[in-house]
Amino acid sequence: MNPLWHSLRDVTRRTFLRDSGLGLGGLALGDLMRAGATGTPDRVPHHRPRARSVIYLHMAGSPSPLDTFDPKPKLRELDGQPCPEELFKTERFAFIKGVPRLLGAPHGFAQHGQSGMWVTELMPHTATIVDELCMVRSMYTDQFNHAPAQLLLQTGSPRLGRPSMGAWVDYGLGSPNRDLPAFVVLISGGKVPSAGRSAWGAGFLPSVHQGVQLRSAGEPVLYLGDPPGMDRAQRRRTVDAMRDLDELRLAEHGDPETAARIAQYELAYRMQTSVPDVCDIDREPQRVLDAYGATPGGASFANNCLLARRLVESGVRFVQLYDWGWDLHGTGPNDDLMTQFPKKCRETDRPVAALIKDLKARGLLDDTLVVWGGEFGRTPMNEKRNGSTFLGRDHHPHCFTVWLAGGGTRAGHVHGATDEIGYHITSDPVHVHDLQATVLYLLGLDHERLTYRFQGRDYRLTDVHGRVVEALLA
Amino acid sequence: MPLSPPVFVATAVALLACVAPAQRAAADHWSWRPLVRPAPPATGSVDDATPLDAFVAARLPAGVRPAPAADRATLLRRASLDLTGLPPTLAELDAAESDPSPDWFARAVDRLLASPGYAERWASWWLDLARYADTQGYEKDNRRTIWRYRDFVIDAFDRDLPFDEFTIWQLAGDLLPDATPEQRLATAFHRNTMTNTEGGTDDEEFRVAAVVDRVNTTLEVWMATTIGCAQCHDHKYDPITQREYYELFAFFDQTADADRDDDAPTIETPTPEQSAQLAAIDTELARLRARLAAPPTDAERREFAAALRERAEQLAAADLQLGAWQHAGPFPAASFRAALAAAAVAETAPAAAQWSDQADWTDGRIWNVFPEPNAAHYLRRRLTVAADCEVELLFGSDDALRVWLDGERVHDNPTSRGAALDQDRVAVHLTAGEHELLVKIVNGGGPGGFAFRVGDGGVDAALLAAARGVLAGDGAAERARLDDAWRDTAPTTAPLRDAIAALDAEHARLAIPRTPVMVELPADRRRTTRIHRRGSFLDQGDVVSPGVPALFHDWRPEWPRDRLGLARWLVDPRNPLTARVLANRLWEQLFGTGLVATTEEFGTQGEPPSHPELLDWLASELVANGWSIKRTLRTIVLSHTWRQDSALRTDVDDPHDRLLARGPARRLEAETLRDQALAVAGLLSPKRYGPSVMPPQPDGVWSVVYSGDRWITSAGEDRHRRGVYTFWRRTSPHPAMVAFDAPSREFCVLRRGATNTPLQALVAWNDPEFVEAAQALARRVLRDGGATDDERVDFAVRTVTARHPSPAESARLQALLAEERRAAAADPDAARELAASFAGPLPGDLDLTDAAAWTVACNVLLCLDEVIRRR
Repeated sequence: MNPLWHSLRDVTRRTFLRDSGLGLGGLALGDLMRAGATGTPDRVPHHRPRARSVIYLHMAGSPSPLDTFDPKPKLRELDGQPCPEELFKTERFAFIKGVPRLLGAPHGFAQHGQSGMWVTELMPHTATIVDELCMVRSMYTDQFNHAPAQLLLQTGSPRLGRPSMGAWVDYGLGSPNRDLPAFVVLISGGKVPSAGRSAWGAGFLPSVHQGVQLRSAGEPVLYLGDPPGMDRAQRRRTVDAMRDLDELRLAEHGDPETAARIAQYELAYRMQTSVPDVCDIDREPQRVLDAYGATPGGASFANNCLLARRLVESGVRFVQLYDWGWDLHGTGPNDDLMTQFPKKCRETDRPVAALIKDLKARGLLDDTLVVWGGEFGRTPMNEKRNGSTFLGRDHHPHCFTVWLAGGGTRAGHVHGATDEIGYHITSDPVHVHDLQATVLYLLGLDHERLTYRFQGRDYRLTDVHGRVVEALLA
Repeated sequence: MPLSPPVFVATAVALLACVAPAQRAAADHWSWRPLVRPAPPATGSVDDATPLDAFVAARLPAGVRPAPAADRATLLRRASLDLTGLPPTLAELDAAESDPSPDWFARAVDRLLASPGYAERWASWWLDLARYADTQGYEKDNRRTIWRYRDFVIDAFDRDLPFDEFTIWQLAGDLLPDATPEQRLATAFHRNTMTNTEGGTDDEEFRVAAVVDRVNTTLEVWMATTIGCAQCHDHKYDPITQREYYELFAFFDQTADADRDDDAPTIETPTPEQSAQLAAIDTELARLRARLAAPPTDAERREFAAALRERAEQLAAADLQLGAWQHAGPFPAASFRAALAAAAVAETAPAAAQWSDQADWTDGRIWNVFPEPNAAHYLRRRLTVAADCEVELLFGSDDALRVWLDGERVHDNPTSRGAALDQDRVAVHLTAGEHELLVKIVNGGGPGGFAFRVGDGGVDAALLAAARGVLAGDGAAERARLDDAWRDTAPTTAPLRDAIAALDAEHARLAIPRTPVMVELPADRRRTTRIHRRGSFLDQGDVVSPGVPALFHDWRPEWPRDRLGLARWLVDPRNPLTARVLANRLWEQLFGTGLVATTEEFGTQGEPPSHPELLDWLASELVANGWSIKRTLRTIVLSHTWRQDSALRTDVDDPHDRLLARGPARRLEAETLRDQALAVAGLLSPKRYGPSVMPPQPDGVWSVVYSGDRWITSAGEDRHRRGVYTFWRRTSPHPAMVAFDAPSREFCVLRRGATNTPLQALVAWNDPEFVEAAQALARRVLRDGGATDDERVDFAVRTVTARHPSPAESARLQALLAEERRAAAADPDAARELAASFAGPLPGDLDLTDAAAWTVACNVLLCLDEVIRRR
């Protein structure tokens, strides 16, 4: 027997990686968590965190702020008027051509709650939670096409190849639950977001930090189920056999990688049970299912909201939802403001409100940050592509609305403002990088210190930009 | 929101101030010093030491000797997996273990280097650097045909194309004098950049992004120099200025590609078999074209001229008059097909519909006036002729087109396209009098519209004049014009034309793949390259011309200032980086870590080499050996250093083996893991080359915005091809490969990770392909592995690990087999699923209980750490 074997029994994966010089630096504890080392504490954050987990509700395609949370009476007054030339003459639009005409919101708004926040009449349930929300009406971005704008929002760069927000958080903080992935992605609306898997990729970070997509149909994690004809007892026997045989070899050569693989196999075995358990929303009482509008067995945004709560409850660090179908250009009845927009509101309004109320009732809202929003705004002008008679708006990077709730954010607060037709920001602009800096701050991470060395320079989520928006903090 | 200008300017000025000293200091950096071949130190540490080993021994701490060589079985598995990506067969193991010759290993290595597996394994490595994939990337991520480039790479490794030529062909093969088809195909290397086909994107923005990627990839692959910073600004740590960046950019700014949806320009890139077929077609075509080129006889010419004149006179006499268009529509429907099928107006008697006059829809231009998706439009107009005649009506349509004349359908084209002039030609016979023309256009989505005009019957004014001249006997000058028309339209030449058309059709039927390649713009269309301020293509500064950074070796005046010159500059003997970088990459592939651990970065931000003299010696050998990759690999694997036992040593405190005091152990790559499982199971197909294949993957992995593209699992042996042939979708590579760190290949990948995650366990345990391999391996064991469990365990363990099991291992596996036999006997239905779910019904000569128990045992064996890694 190799004399190293005895000492190796004590070598945890943690010390191996810490000493390995794989460029992981001092921060890379996320994969140590996944390595199954026992009793490894969470990474110590840079400062006292306000939030423990994040649920990010990304409305892919981007809902119009002018039709949801940022009403513009003046725009309604000017409905049908040609857009003033100084607003569009130097602008590059994705689709608008010629002189566009202004488009007032076709649906009504009302004020709600103590805060008196404005909400579209198409979101009656969201109207009941406004006093929990911190509404940012002055978001802006640099990108006006979906894939680059989603990448900028989720990875800090419009090009592919950077780690996503969830990956950075996992890298910085690791996961309190060792039987589940730290960064989970849930998709609804029938399509993945335009930016594809890169929106939850690990970029140049070690691949263990990438988001794990829990699928709504079939197995929740790919290859989770045992082969046909194999039961759990049998899988247990195989894992035992693999361990015994691997340990015999480990005794010969003493390579800590082998010890790590033995631990990973144990974790995989546990995940085979823990993941289906947490995904089984059928275990929820009927009244909870009703509150969300969730239907077990199906694939829906409502199911994903409920699943997000269960995941956060189980200690998952970052739950990223993508709901596709908000790209309402008005080229036809399937992407217009009169039919598709009310449909998307109906699909999402109840579950979003139920999620906030449910988190609050369980005492989870205090340390769970919920973010809602798209990747950019929409034009105050009707797009009218090829003379279409349907109502819709083109992409608009200069202003959009995002709301935050829980996790140490300032409830019932409206931040920033846009001009009277919603074309430009008039006060307190918040760039996408600022939002990222603020999310990291709430989790106890300093966006300037959470770095990773790659290709000769230190990279971070916010690139060389970003500042924490103090006004959004409770 | 604007950036805060004062802060930006101040930073930029501060950065600029730092540049000059950085450049001077950098020239001293180890990797930029000239490459000088060092003499190996004298050493006598081991009997079988090569010069390479002497460099390693010289850096071992006092008293530490190299580890002994690994045993033959371990070495053969190591060499087979490293050189060919495949495990050794039992026959190869037997041969190696019984070879009495002292150079048994060198002979085994030579066999491996000459085997087809070598080229496939090393092509996989290069394809990461080339960011090769079967799709275009970005949002839509549509398919792209570029597998002929992959086959070129395999061929290049197969015949060990010297790396300097390999470089020149890929970067500038099209610019070589008398470029061969293969040299032009090689330039697809830089067409592996992404193409953005999302609606509303600016093609110039993404053309520039592709050029930026070419600049960065070239510098990273050949010189391990990351210069991304300089794209936007000068950088105090970076010895390359922004101006120099755009001087490099200028080399790549002159190709014709421009982020077009169809990846134009592309060229036909026939496979070798197609080339042979094509040659036969081309010979015959040349013969026919020569015959057609012969002029008509005088009689033929006069007969043709007379026929033309008669046709023209007939048309003139007919005096076709066209009424104004009338329009009805739109008539929307649930789908394109439904809109086409529905007779929204009575198509055979349209007078009953509501019509509006559209006098301004003139002939001979495109009218995109039907934007409604899935909707039909009708057009009608009156045609009046004074005498019977033949007329050709020319249509364009977006999308589908149907035409009726006097209530009778005369044309039907359910197409989907953009409208252009003269897309469809409809010949009709008109009798004297009035006729009614009815046209139906159905738009499926996007813009929609039509175009119309009446054909001239093939007799334009010039041709008619030529015919009259010839008939008048004085048409010498007009003959050529008339003879051309005779060749194109005369009944006499029809058989020749038909034969040519048939050969063209045969050519089309070959379905020769078209591959995107580099094509230099002609002199009159060259772009002016400017510095992009802050990296934005919209903010252009000074004009720059092609040039290389001052830091590096000089440009030779005889080189052209284009990609060909740049390629020659890269492989110039005075460039110390290309050889060092390549030697280091090869080392990394064999050891898991490079002599320079940061294989991607040889600049001041990278790590210095652990053995600088060894790296320089190896790089010098590489050049001296005519840039032969095979010979360099051979030099390394025949060294004692590479052949050492890989067990950890208690006497050396060196956890990452940077001293090279033991042999290398590393996790196998994604492709190799699957290839190995298929190989030991006896499933792996030896088929080489061709379009990428789709082995099984879970349902629903490909759900992609806008694209209805589907993963269609390949049939037959294509299910079991080597991983290098697996279809690579950038937004969704095969999930089992992703679990083992296969990259997306959206960009050049300089170093793959070798992670160790629970998701990998799930793939190895449960992926149907790995389960199928376990089932097939179990059948092999039962058939070929002997009669007793002892013999069978030995056979199975040796098949997957190359070595015999220890008594303890054998006992453990036999205990598992006993348990699994009991379980299988207790539940035969489950046993049948276990043994046959993916590999097909169990053959009658095999016992079900045995097959199920052995399937479980083989599932265990294929997941062992020892199998997933190589020691």
